[in-house]
Amino acid sequence: MSEPLLSVRDLKTQFFTEDGTVRAVDGISFDVHEGEIVGLVGESGAGKSVATSSILRLVDSPGEIVGGEIEFKGETIFGLEEGDDGELRPRDEMLTEEEMRQRIRGREIAIIFQDPMESLNPVFTVGGQLREFIEINRDLDADEAKEEAIDMLREVGIPAPESRYDEYPHQFSGGMRQRVLIAMALACQPDLIIADEPTTALDVTVEGEILEMVTELQEKYDTSFIWVTHDMSVVAEICDRVNVMYLGEIIEQAEVDDLFYDTKHPYTSALLDSMPRPDRTVDELRPIQGVMPEAIDPPAGCRFHSRCPEAREVCREVHPEPRELSEDGEAPHTAACVKHDAFDVGYDESPPIETQATGGFSAGFTETGGEAE
Amino acid sequence: MTEVGPPESDPEALLQVRDLCKYFDNESGLLAGVQLDDEFPYVSRSTSDVRAVDGVSFDIKEGETLGLVGESGCGKSTLARTVLRLLEPTSGSVYFQGEDLAELSGEPLRRMRKNMQMIFQDPQSSLDPRMKVGPIVEEPMKAHDMLDEEGREARAKELLEKVGLDPQHYNRYPHAFSGGQRQRVNLARALSVNPDFIVCDEPVSALDVSIQAQVLNTMEELQEEFDLTYLFIAHDLSVIRHISDRVAVMYLGNVVELADKEELFENPKHPYTRALLDAIPVPDPRSGGRTALLSGDVPSPIDPPSGCRFRTRCPEVIQPDEYDMTEDAWRNVVEFQRAVERRAFEETDPDALRSRYFDDAVPSGDAGTLLDEALGHIERDEFEDAERILVERFADQSVCATTTPAYEVPSDLTDGRHYSACHLRRDEALASAVDEPAVDDAARPGAGATEADD
Repeated sequence: MSEPLLSVRDLKTQFFTEDGTVRAVDGISFDVHEGEIVGLVGESGAGKSVATSSILRLVDSPGEIVGGEIEFKGETIFGLEEGDDGELRPRDEMLTEEEMRQRIRGREIAIIFQDPMESLNPVFTVGGQLREFIEINRDLDADEAKEEAIDMLREVGIPAPESRYDEYPHQFSGGMRQRVLIAMALACQPDLIIADEPTTALDVTVEGEILEMVTELQEKYDTSFIWVTHDMSVVAEICDRVNVMYLGEIIEQAEVDDLFYDTKHPYTSALLDSMPRPDRTVDELRPIQGVMPEAIDPPAGCRFHSRCPEAREVCREVHPEPRELSEDGEAPHTAACVKHDAFDVGYDESPPIETQATGGFSAGFTETGGEAE
Repeated sequence: MTEVGPPESDPEALLQVRDLCKYFDNESGLLAGVQLDDEFPYVSRSTSDVRAVDGVSFDIKEGETLGLVGESGCGKSTLARTVLRLLEPTSGSVYFQGEDLAELSGEPLRRMRKNMQMIFQDPQSSLDPRMKVGPIVEEPMKAHDMLDEEGREARAKELLEKVGLDPQHYNRYPHAFSGGQRQRVNLARALSVNPDFIVCDEPVSALDVSIQAQVLNTMEELQEEFDLTYLFIAHDLSVIRHISDRVAVMYLGNVVELADKEELFENPKHPYTRALLDAIPVPDPRSGGRTALLSGDVPSPIDPPSGCRFRTRCPEVIQPDEYDMTEDAWRNVVEFQRAVERRAFEETDPDALRSRYFDDAVPSGDAGTLLDEALGHIERDEFEDAERILVERFADQSVCATTTPAYEVPSDLTDGRHYSACHLRRDEALASAVDEPAVDDAARPGAGATEADD
C-alpha cells in the first residue's frame, strides 16, 4: 500500500485537572490514505473530538499531547524524543506553531465543526468571511477572492449565491450554514478535511443532501476525510474504513463492510444491536447496560469489561492492545478483545464474571459527583 | 363538510384533537406591523401570523402510542404544547376524556392537568439544579394536594425504583446523574400524579444510542404497567418505528399522513412520507444508501404555499388539466421552474438551457409556447419575469395548488385507518368510498377536498 497521507501512532492526550489526570486519548494509531473517508465512531466521552483536535495541535491547557507521533505528508506535526537529560522534548523536525498556523491549518488540513452557528461570526456577512479566508490563504486579491467565494457557494448548493453572499449567518438555515462551512473547508483545496459531527444537528433530509454533496465533492477534488460521528448509519453510508473508539482507545478498526458483517469486538456489536432500525420493526431493543466510565479512572484490564456481556475473569486482568485478526488475503481488520485466539491469554478457560450487562438492571453512576448528601 | 384533518372521530378515544390551529404574531410590541405609505391613510397596520399549527385533527386511543414525526420547524412541539394547553390555541378544540380543554380555564383546567404530563427533550434544563431528586419527583404531587408528606416520600422512592434508579438516590442532586438517568427522573416526576396521558417531546434525542435504548425500553415497560397513553414526538424515524402504534407525519403545520406504524413504514401514501423514509440512513453498508432526496428548503410558515403545502418540493406534483404534456416533459418543466426560482444557474442561452433541462422531453403546444416566452426573458436577463410566467402558468395551476387534499385511503397491511393528504390518492379514496359509502363522508369527492382558503 502507498505511503499514508496522515499517520497517527500511539497518540496520547491528557488533561491535567484538579481531580486527576484525564486520559482522554490513550494511545491510538490509525492511518488516512489519499482519497479515503475514514470514520471515527464512538459515544460521547469516547475521546473523538480530542483526537481530532490533537491532529491539528489545537489542544489547549489543561490538555496536552503527551506522547505519540503524527506524520502528515512526510512532515512531523507532532513527535517527541528523549533529550540529553532524559526528559522528553519536541523533535527538531516538528513543525513550529507558526508553520502550523500558516501552512497546515486551513490550507492542508481543514476542519468542519458540529455547530455551524458557532463557527461563523454573526456580525460579518457570510460572503465576507468566506472571501477573507480565500484571500488570506490563496493569495488572491479581493475581487478574485469574491468571485471564487461565489463559485464555492454555488458549488455547495446555496441558491442564488450572488444575493446570499451579502447575507448574515442568522439568515441562513442550519443546513445552509453547514454548506457554507464545507465551502470554506474546500476553498483552499486541502488534502485532508476533518469533519467533527458536521451533520449531527441537522434533519435527516438535510443530512442526506449534505452527505451526497460531500461524496460528490470528494470525488471531484480527491480530498481525504476523517469523519467523526456517533451515528453508525452515517458511517455505513460514507466511510471507507472505520475506527471505533471507546474510552480513549480504538478498539476495532476495519473496512466498513467488515465492521458491520464481520464484527470482532463486543462493544461494536452491542452498539449495532442497541440501535432502533428504520428498515424493520424490532420488538425489543438490546441496550448496552450502564454508562461509559470516566476517563479519569478507567477500569483495569479491558476498558469495556464492566459493560461487556461476554466478559470473563481474564478481561479484568489483561489489557488488550488491538491486534491484526484478518486472514491472509483479507483486508486488514484489528480488534482489541481477548476472546480471539490471536491473543491467547486463556479466555476460553476463564470463568465468566458478573457485570452490569449480565447482572440486572441497576444503572451505574458516573464516577464523579455521585456522593449522597 | 368542513373537516380538513384526518376524518376520524372515535368517541371512545382518550384524546380528540379537532382542527387545532396555533398562530403566533410575527412581530410584537406597540408599533408591530405598522407601515408608512406615501398615500392616504399614510399609516397602515398589517400583521403576518406564523402558522405553526394549522388545522390538525387526530385521535389517540387509550393505551396507545401515537408517534409524531417531522423535520425541525414543522410545528411538532407547538402542537404538543397546544394540546396540553400550555399554549392558548388560536382555534379548534381538544377533547380530553370528553371535555374540551380549549374551553376550560382556571381551577378546572388545573385539575385536568393532573391527568396530562409532559417530558421534555433536554434532561439537563428540565430539572432544577438546586433541588434534590426526591423533592423534584414530589413537586407535582404537592401541587395537586396528593397524599401527606410521608406518603409523598414513599411514593417518590417507589417511583424512582420503578424507572430504574436506586431509591437511595432520593437525596442526590440532578448533576450527579448522567443524561439517561436524568431522563428517568423526568419520567418519575411525570408519573408521580398518576396521569393517563404523557406527551414526550423528543425524550431520547439528546442521549447516546446505547442509553437511548435503555430509556425507550423503560418507557415501554412503564406504559404497560401503568396503562399510559403516549404522544411521542421525535424527528428520528427509527425511534418512532420502534415505539409507536400509529404514526402521524407533520409538514409545515399540517398532518400529511396518519396510519398504523407498519402500514406507514411499509406502504407510505404521501410523497413527503416517502421522501422522509428514503432519507433515513440505514446502519448497513450494503443497503445502497439513500435515494431520491428532497431538494429545496421548507417554505416559510408565514406565507405557506396554497393547497398542498408540500407541493413546492414534491417530486410528484400533478400536471395542470389545461396542458397535455408527457409525464417526462412535465417533470422537466417543474425542475426548470424550481431551478429558476432558486437561481441555480447563470446560463442565459436558451439552447444551452434547453439541452440541460429538456434533453429527453420538451413540452409542446401551449406549454411549449409559454416555455419559449420564459426562456426569452431569461435570455434578456429578466429572471423575475421568467419566474412569474413559470409559477403563475404552471405551478399555480396544478390541482395541488388550488385545492387542499385530505383523503382516507384503504389500508393494505392493517385494519386501521389510513389518512393521506395527497391528490394522487384521490382515485384510490373514491374507489374505497364507493365500496363502503356509509363509512366516511370525508373521502367523497368535494367533501374531503375543501377549497383552499387563500
